[in-house]
Amino acid sequence: MHIPDGYLDPFMVLITFLLTGGYAAVSYKRVGKLSMDRVSLLSSFAAGIFVAQMLNWPLPGGTSLHLVGGGLAGILLGPYLGFFAMSLVLVIQCIVFHDGGITALGANILNMAILGVVTGYLAYKIATSIVGTNSRGRFIGGFLAGWLGIVVAGLACGIEIGFSTYFGFNIDVTVPIMVSWHAILGVIEGLITAFIIEYIHSRNPDISYLEV
Amino acid sequence: MENLDRRYMALLVILILVSPLFGVYLSDLVGYHEPLDLAAEHVGLPDLNEELNWTPLYDYGFPALHPMLGYIVSGFIGVAIILGIGMFLTRIIGNSESDSENEAKK
Repeated sequence: MHIPDGYLDPFMVLITFLLTGGYAAVSYKRVGKLSMDRVSLLSSFAAGIFVAQMLNWPLPGGTSLHLVGGGLAGILLGPYLGFFAMSLVLVIQCIVFHDGGITALGANILNMAILGVVTGYLAYKIATSIVGTNSRGRFIGGFLAGWLGIVVAGLACGIEIGFSTYFGFNIDVTVPIMVSWHAILGVIEGLITAFIIEYIHSRNPDISYLEV
Repeated sequence: MENLDRRYMALLVILILVSPLFGVYLSDLVGYHEPLDLAAEHVGLPDLNEELNWTPLYDYGFPALHPMLGYIVSGFIGVAIILGIGMFLTRIIGNSESDSENEAKK
């Protein structure tokens, strides 16, 4: 999912950095003054996501499974604080470990820290408002948040590389491939997200509704 | 809360220690490559990652260390940086809060 350097043309680089910068400004304003507890929670969560993404389970055939965590961030931290937590992970991955290109950082943040987080947040909100905030509702909401979060992030990635003039495949190829792969792999993301939400709720019923 | 934090940190340490089994050993076993890299190779995009590399910790490795050990060290470095940023921000917020309290007392 991390787009490397050389895949996005300058126009797509500019667009994705502008969109990411715009959302960062809105998030900064919406989050307002951060308390020490919130910052501590944000960095602990980000550390957990960083480690979870290192548990990369390769599958025969050349792909892999690991938790991306956008949906989980959306549920636990909300669309703005969740954005900062996921962005922190992506920036460290890019700058310190060269995981994802520096020119694609705007796109990677847009896909995983904005679209993945916001989609997960909304999916969980809608699902629990329909099914209820009982155990069943939390599980369905958690699953949909994880699954849809990664599918939408994959869709965005497909659009970005499909529209990029540097990439040899057009959008009619990149989008179906990225969406179908992530729809399949996202089932695991959805299940992990649902189980984590259920576990956290069983340990501390208040912590799963920490939206800003 | 302190117990929860300790348990959480212990969990992170354990996960980092087992992470090379997934990220290195099993990856090598199944010949894992990023799907996007494979697509790029198929359409003849040049691999700029190694040409434009800016970090000695490229791809979660560590110079002169076995890849599995390097992966573990990289995991600890990444977590330390993230938690370090959190602690730095917490300290700044704490200082500004105590400054505000002192001004209010005056």
